[in-house]
Amino acid sequence: MKGIFRRTALGAAVAAAAMLSATGIAQAADWPTKPITMLIGYKAGGGTDTKGRVLAKILARELGQQVNVINRPGGGQAVALESFKNTPADGAVFFFGAVSGITLNPQINSALKFTSSDYVYAGGLTEFQVSMVAPQDRPYDDMKGFIAFAKEKGRIKYASLSPGAKIMMQAIAKQEGINVDYIPTKGGRGMVQLVLSGQVDFAYSGGIQSRYPGKIKTLAATSTARLGNYPDVPTLDELGYTGVAIDAPTVVAFPKGIDPAIVSKMEAALKVASTDPAMKKISDAIKMPIVYKTAAEATQLVDHSTAAIADMLKAIGYQATN
Amino acid sequence: MQDLMAVAGDALAPGNVAWVLFGVTLGYLVGALPGLGKGTATAVAIPLTFYLEPLSAIAFLVGISKGSTAGSAVSAILLNTPGEPSSTPTAMAGYPLARAGKAQKALKMGLFASVIGDLFSTIVLILIAQELAAYALGVGPVELTAILAFSMVFIAGLSGRSLIKGLIAGLFGILVSCIGLEVETGSPRLTFGMIELYDGLPLIPVAIGMLALSEMMIQIGQRHRLAEESDLLKGSNKPEDMRVTLDDWKRCLRPIVRGSLIGTVIGILPGLGASVGSFLSYGAERKASGRGADFEESGAIEGVAAAESADNAVVPASLVPLFAIGIPGSVIAAILIGAFTIQGITPGPLLFLENKDLILGVYISMLAASIILLFIGYFGQNMFARIVRISPALIMPVVVFLCCVGAYLQGGGVFGISVMVIFGVIGFFTKKYDFSFVTFLIGFVIGPSFELSLRQSLGLVTNLSEMADHPVALVFGVLAVVGVWRLTVMQRKQMEAMSRREDAAARSEREARTNNIEQPRESTT
Repeated sequence: MKGIFRRTALGAAVAAAAMLSATGIAQAADWPTKPITMLIGYKAGGGTDTKGRVLAKILARELGQQVNVINRPGGGQAVALESFKNTPADGAVFFFGAVSGITLNPQINSALKFTSSDYVYAGGLTEFQVSMVAPQDRPYDDMKGFIAFAKEKGRIKYASLSPGAKIMMQAIAKQEGINVDYIPTKGGRGMVQLVLSGQVDFAYSGGIQSRYPGKIKTLAATSTARLGNYPDVPTLDELGYTGVAIDAPTVVAFPKGIDPAIVSKMEAALKVASTDPAMKKISDAIKMPIVYKTAAEATQLVDHSTAAIADMLKAIGYQATN
Repeated sequence: MQDLMAVAGDALAPGNVAWVLFGVTLGYLVGALPGLGKGTATAVAIPLTFYLEPLSAIAFLVGISKGSTAGSAVSAILLNTPGEPSSTPTAMAGYPLARAGKAQKALKMGLFASVIGDLFSTIVLILIAQELAAYALGVGPVELTAILAFSMVFIAGLSGRSLIKGLIAGLFGILVSCIGLEVETGSPRLTFGMIELYDGLPLIPVAIGMLALSEMMIQIGQRHRLAEESDLLKGSNKPEDMRVTLDDWKRCLRPIVRGSLIGTVIGILPGLGASVGSFLSYGAERKASGRGADFEESGAIEGVAAAESADNAVVPASLVPLFAIGIPGSVIAAILIGAFTIQGITPGPLLFLENKDLILGVYISMLAASIILLFIGYFGQNMFARIVRISPALIMPVVVFLCCVGAYLQGGGVFGISVMVIFGVIGFFTKKYDFSFVTFLIGFVIGPSFELSLRQSLGLVTNLSEMADHPVALVFGVLAVVGVWRLTVMQRKQMEAMSRREDAAARSEREARTNNIEQPRESTT
């Protein structure tokens, strides 16, 4: 055990030194020759970050180089992705995060310059348990009951943690003719605070409610298929809200123009990571199941998601801001 | 009882204590470096905890946060460069003492105040975390908005001579904090198409620029006085300047008690943070002492004690909302959530049921960390105090270099350095024209949470009658309005009194000072 401590301490020192040195162009064949950086579009401590940091350790072992994690939160990963687009495609930096940040953001915010085709996808690893939730003490236990409650009350308060969360609720509200006050929150933590204190009637969650059993109830899955953690909870499609769901698997991406050899190497390392005991342990702990996807599958998923979101936005008549 | 003994045995096992010791020492070292604070120290240490047992991991990180919070007083007092914004009042009251040769005294008092504040707050955490869960749940966006508005008025009124100038500085800080992608839709604001600004301005470079770099500029501008100052910094031979005397204890007891209380309360309320705590405590002591601006001009041991006790008291108290309901009240708490999660533990109400032993172990480790902090700080300080023997002409470039390193590491590279330089220039002018740069920084720090909670409140309270559901918010809202009114009246009376008293001597002194500033320009033309 002592050896591990020493190695970890050494690793941290190397990481600090690496941050000071400029990154050069790595040779694709023996990539990585220097410590590489994992870019995460959420704050430290959330689900993506927790899993990303475990993944970084496994990748460091598989690739033989230190993997540093950098958090650039904001705008539902838009901040991280916008700067990532202009990163040199030399394999020094890669992105780990939910695919919705890549597929949804450019379609609803015309100020953003990136699109999903600006990146190359090396694979997928895990799936957010995206869902609609409510405080446990509310009188409704399913979507039908919730809609009836909303109609009776006149207005309901909804915690919206991302642009995508707002759009999905707008689509539901339009279909049902209910009035919604949108309460913006930053990340899952802020949402949980509003739900636990009963200040909102309804909220979108990336799956963090699994940490609050008996406090938050799950009413609908906002994915296209039922969720691993909540097999009894129906999807929005099943409930009659066709085409509203937005899937949120996590992917690993590089900037466009990356050497395919680097992508293949990362793809192989991800496959190893998907069966690693440490990854399994953390996935069980935070209840975010491992769903491994190859580079080809991840790319197909991104294309499909981009098209599905375009259809949905057209159907609800969404106008891009700015 | 047997359980408690077993847990105490685990917590005080050599392995665990070693990690606490390592954490406190590492934290103290990093905290003492200018521009590096507890956020950096704890974040850097997270990877080290992957292979530790949950108890050791949490104890290690708590040790780091306690150590770095206390350690940042060293650079604040000796170099006038706080490791983080919350040590700014320590620099304001402590640096003049260091210039007067009383660095050792200030450092020791700062350490004692830190340890007392820390210990007090830790005990409060242990006593109330479980009980307070129900109350803390009530502090929602509406309450937070009112509390933040109230804090802003309070700080603006106390940190400068003029409330109006303070509010201008604070609102400018909030305006600057609006730069970046807006929280709800992700639309860019005030970014002028620069991708680096999408993230908002990075806090550390802004703070380093406003606090440290601007101070260096002012000092370089007064370089004809440098020789004189290096004499002053040489230290004193008088033994009473080297240690904390009984008289010092008498003067500092009240501010330390008040600071510990303020820091603990601020820490418990989510979102306010160590800066608000140390500034409130410092401002209260400055007002209570009746010495006014003399606090910053000749330094005040009470000011150091007030700021440091509150600064350290915030850290353990900010774990109250984390342990009780799983909501981080501070940067440290936010990072600790990550550490808990890595260990497969969920902070929140269930913590006390499912992981009772762990929580007890963490409590015991935290108490141990307070004691260890006292020893590390006491014996380590002599090492850091040697910096006073170096001439300012040598220190200043090192400080500027360390500023650049901090800004580079925390601000995304060269961009961070540019931000630091720009805010160094802004800080230079705010200091010259007596706009409170402190209030600016507080506005900048609380701006995002103020905006978010205000917007949430506007959604949550759709008509005025619903405000009756938020009595706490109403109280703080009324206090904020009354605060503006009272402070304005008070300051107007002070100004009138001053202008009446203003005699020829004061006027001639001011003229002399103006001439002094003009002199270098005259000599070059």
